Amino acid sequence: MAESTPGSAEFEALRQKSIAAAEATIREASSRPDLHLVQAVQALDDTDKYLNITATRASEWYGLHFPELIQMVQDNVALCKIIAEIGGREGYSAESLQGRGFTEKKIAAIIEARDRSKGGSISEGDLSRVKTLSALAVQLSVIRGGLNDYVESQMKKVAPNIAEVAGATIGARLMAKAGGLDRLAILPASTIQILGAEKALFRSLRTGARPPKHGILFQHQAVHTAPKWQRGKVARTLANKIAIAARVDYYRGSEDPSIKAGLDKRLESIKERYKDPPQRKPESRGPPRREGRPQRPDRRDRHRRR
Amino acid sequence: MSRIQREDRSGRTVLLTRNLTPGKRVYNEDLVVKDGAEYRTWDPFRSKLAAAILKGMPDSVIAEGAKVLYLGASTGTTASHVSDIVGPGGVVVGVEFAPRVAREFVERVARERGNVIPFVADARDPSKYSVAQVDVVYCDIAQPDQTEIALLNCSKLLRKGGTLLLVVKSRSIDVLKDPERVFAEERAKLEKAGLRVKEVYELSPFEKDHALIYATG
Repeated sequence: MAESTPGSAEFEALRQKSIAAAEATIREASSRPDLHLVQAVQALDDTDKYLNITATRASEWYGLHFPELIQMVQDNVALCKIIAEIGGREGYSAESLQGRGFTEKKIAAIIEARDRSKGGSISEGDLSRVKTLSALAVQLSVIRGGLNDYVESQMKKVAPNIAEVAGATIGARLMAKAGGLDRLAILPASTIQILGAEKALFRSLRTGARPPKHGILFQHQAVHTAPKWQRGKVARTLANKIAIAARVDYYRGSEDPSIKAGLDKRLESIKERYKDPPQRKPESRGPPRREGRPQRPDRRDRHRRR
Repeated sequence: MSRIQREDRSGRTVLLTRNLTPGKRVYNEDLVVKDGAEYRTWDPFRSKLAAAILKGMPDSVIAEGAKVLYLGASTGTTASHVSDIVGPGGVVVGVEFAPRVAREFVERVARERGNVIPFVADARDPSKYSVAQVDVVYCDIAQPDQTEIALLNCSKLLRKGGTLLLVVKSRSIDVLKDPERVFAEERAKLEKAGLRVKEVYELSPFEKDHALIYATG
């Protein structure tokens, strides 16, 4: 480039070559399956949010008309399906409630509730909107299910070991946070352990509060079902194994059942060794309580180093 | 006439750069006609180079006709203004590592502008974008080792007596350390490498905890 002047034909040819090369690199990067998987899991989480918002609104709105039904059908999506298909209170009958997984007893109870409902009347216009909203929620749940299956099956292809150790969805979320499988594969386990807890981490660094034990990993059942005093150890072990799994997935690309086996063994031994909650040292108990009205712990002190 | 102009809008100075591609916008900025030529407004809240100029850096630091190596071109907002400033006789070599933002840089800036050459590459490896010696290295890459990366590029590609403009994001070097101290430390690194630091422009209120170090080789 040294000799070619800007604007000359030679310069322009060089520029075009460089643009073509840059575009080829971008194209190649954009077809990586792990990046598509990252989009898929984020779409799954987005859809989850829309579904909750939509179903909650539909059930609140419909609740003006038939509040007893909202109490009796706990599952939001099942409720929305009924609203979309049956509509107004007068539509509830033994036939229209058939085939929805309700027992005879439940059907009778719903019909009875219909007759003595405390709900108000609902206009054609209102009912039609609630039904549309409910139908949307039902549709969203179908899309959600499809995305969920897709993330599971893609994780098995793209990162089988992470899927095995962390679970498909959590593994995909970690990948999303890291920015792809390649990035996750070079993260230290200690970073993986707290991915998703950045706010708590920086608060800890700034103020000396206790550091977070887990971020996204809290969603893993081994972590959130563990008793409180074991959670840090469980999260650390899990993060260690995920770090190994990510490296095997990225650099070797074959399944290695020994990672999961090692994790299970280690989790077992944590359960065994730390069965009992640790004894608090008496001097770390803090100042004696004041007499009189019971004190609520100060929320701001929750994260203080003890 | 300089390709950078100023306009006073009710007490606020607005920076303008002479549009290299008249009629075309890069990121929905306002176009202004002045003395028969078209200019693009340059928002200091979106561009750290504009912020440094408003904080007192002379316009002449990037001259018309200069060859500029731009590390961290991102989506090309600032790069497009540098392309305006150097004009048809200058060159902007834009380097960006992340494919997602590089896509917009290539599409909206490099393709449109005859003086911009794009590279999707890592600035840690200058051999990937072998260009001849440049007059200015502009480096805005929010990495903990950004100063080392800038120095590496200067030693390989900056001509003798050329200019380094280094944007320092204090929080990507050390979140806990006082920004003033980070700026001083990065400045010392440049001086130790033999560069002469002319000025350090602190970029508030446009950016928090950022500074632009102006040095010559």
